[in-house]
Amino acid sequence: MEKGESTSTSYSDTNGSNEPDHDFECNICFELAQDPIVTLCGHLFCWPCLYRWLHHHSHSQECPVCKALVQDDKLVPLYGRGKNQTDPRTKRYPGMRIPNRPAGQRPETASPPPQQPQNDAASNFFNYGIGLMGGFMPMATTRIGNFSFGVGGLLPSLFNFQFHGFPDAALYGTAPGYPFGGYHNGFRGVPGGNNEPTAPGGGHPSDAALKNILIVVGICVFFFLLL
Amino acid sequence: MTSSSSPSRKALSKIACNRLQKELSEWQVNPPTGFKHKVTDNLQKWIIEVTGAPGTLYANETYKLQVDFPEHYPMESPQATFLISFFGIYIFVIFVPPAPLHPHIYSNGHICLDILYDSWSPAMTVSSVCISILSMLSSSPEKQRPADNDRYVKNCKNGRSPKETRWWFHDDKA
Repeated sequence: MEKGESTSTSYSDTNGSNEPDHDFECNICFELAQDPIVTLCGHLFCWPCLYRWLHHHSHSQECPVCKALVQDDKLVPLYGRGKNQTDPRTKRYPGMRIPNRPAGQRPETASPPPQQPQNDAASNFFNYGIGLMGGFMPMATTRIGNFSFGVGGLLPSLFNFQFHGFPDAALYGTAPGYPFGGYHNGFRGVPGGNNEPTAPGGGHPSDAALKNILIVVGICVFFFLLL
Repeated sequence: MTSSSSPSRKALSKIACNRLQKELSEWQVNPPTGFKHKVTDNLQKWIIEVTGAPGTLYANETYKLQVDFPEHYPMESPQATFLISFFGIYIFVIFVPPAPLHPHIYSNGHICLDILYDSWSPAMTVSSVCISILSMLSSSPEKQRPADNDRYVKNCKNGRSPKETRWWFHDDKA
């Protein structure tokens, strides 16, 4: 009588532990989760089980596993493939009205992936444009800073201004052998913008077009500074 | 008298039954250290033998734990009591040892352990409850009854269930 004679084995034949993984079992009923739902803390339940626990038995809104706060609107339903959704009210807890499982929150559709800069001239142009904007803006502000600093004498400061403005613009726009990519890379770090790989310096097919654009931009900046 | 002492009047729900079968089969594969459970026909009432952990005050002492499961287990906590020799209350067991002398165990076998009452969570199992009880035994600094033992036991004279008591837990360390 005392020592372990298994007097009855009527339950031992349901040997559920043969199945190797319990990963998808509800933490309350220990069965494969139906209408599965996951808390923010990552614990899986059947929606009817969790609902019943939180709304009819528990004194507090906490996760049965880890006691983290559980809110209905922060639950994440799991939609697998396979069987259609069943109405939980008909199935598991007769006599108790269990609302439908909360729906998943769907963020906006993902934006298309950014294209590689080497792909075509258009995207190159775009990237360089961004880079230049980032590169130029700080410069413009420093100039303006100079300007306001030297407001005492308008003319000298203006000269000073031009003097500074010119060589820079010329450097950007016209210096023929300047390694473009290198410069570009150097400046990209400053604005802290996008970090896609940039074109290697020199020998790029669209350099000529870029130079033209740079000249135009340089002139624009020059006039802007004059004003 | 016997009816009020037995909290297992209502049969287990289907969900409770399925879950207990799972727990039972897991127990058989991997029982918690220090515990022995004799499988019986009655899924709703488990009699578990617990042996005090070596190196503690209860080393080598063996007690019997009775775990009764309510109809809506695991939404409601199981009721675990230490079996004691009150003839007529637990008529089906040979009452060898009394309930252990412990500051959180009353002489009628009731256990003051929050997870059996307010802090129960349906993610807990018989196994985890057993481990908590053994841990409570092991951490005891001295063998003695709770301070309010006599009063409590007198109030429970009519065989009332520990769940009807409004517990208040004096010791957070347990």
